[in-house]
Amino acid sequence: MKIAPQESPRVRKSITSEPAILFAVARRLFAIAADSVQEIRSTDSIAGAASEFESPDVPTVRHTIERDHRQYYVVNACAHFHLRIERPTLVLILRQLRVAVLVDCIERMTELPAVYDLPRAFSGEERRWYRGLAYMNDIVIPVVDPRGFLTAEEFRRLDAALHPAESEHELEGVASK
Amino acid sequence: MTGLENALREKRSDSFVLLHLANRRFALPAKVVAELAPPVRLHSFPHTSPLLAGVIVRRGHILPVYDAGRALSGKSSIAHRFYLVARRQFGAASEMSAIPVDGECELVTSEMHPRADDAPPYICGEIVAGGESIGVLDIEALVQEHAQTQAEAAR
Repeated sequence: MKIAPQESPRVRKSITSEPAILFAVARRLFAIAADSVQEIRSTDSIAGAASEFESPDVPTVRHTIERDHRQYYVVNACAHFHLRIERPTLVLILRQLRVAVLVDCIERMTELPAVYDLPRAFSGEERRWYRGLAYMNDIVIPVVDPRGFLTAEEFRRLDAALHPAESEHELEGVASK
Repeated sequence: MTGLENALREKRSDSFVLLHLANRRFALPAKVVAELAPPVRLHSFPHTSPLLAGVIVRRGHILPVYDAGRALSGKSSIAHRFYLVARRQFGAASEMSAIPVDGECELVTSEMHPRADDAPPYICGEIVAGGESIGVLDIEALVQEHAQTQAEAAR
């Protein structure tokens, strides 16, 4: 049997490109849309604003930080992606979500030429983790879905653990309706 | 034009591609095989899907790569440098995916017979080629069985 001729990989032309931040976690590269990140800080610089916090239901969260009078849940990206735990140096504070993400380093800012759907064969947690895949400079990079770091149910559990009195009150309110 | 491409164009139901996986020979219906792709870079990233080793970029598409050898023998086959690109069904939709192979693939014409009673679930039939009985691989069943085995082991 002959082998089909090698073609240089080409990706379908994108309609729009989007600015993104490439970051590394346990030596793996990820992309996140730049407009979903509000702020990038070093872990040292936010240490004073961080509080230890544990919820057995959500093991990826071990801290909260307060920014602009809002409590953000700090998700360890290594734990989130089931990677070997490394010492993170940066925190991505997300926009519109009460989530901050511990990462190892920022590789660079870039323009993603396109984001392709994750193949259907991928059926696990990655369907929640990623918006899709980007292909640039001969590498495939998973594009993180910011909403995938914590589900609505995880937020509810974390909020209940962080503010047990309020949650109890809310539950009482629900029960009395 | 290669014999494989001819067979694919004709979509002959009695054409099969023979491949080596886990030191055994298997057959795939030629109608689901698109091509034997040359060595390309395997890209991996974190995921939790069983049997997937990563993706390759081929002809402008991102294709998932199944490490079929691991399900058959426990040993990874991703060291194989060629990829057999085949179609996998997802309900009404289908998707091309790749299986690492050693490049020793062969196109044969044979009638498919029912599988033996004691054949594993990922064998959907048998053909005879060169006097040898060869199982026809059902990738879907192989993935499902591997996922089930993994889930049971995790319990």
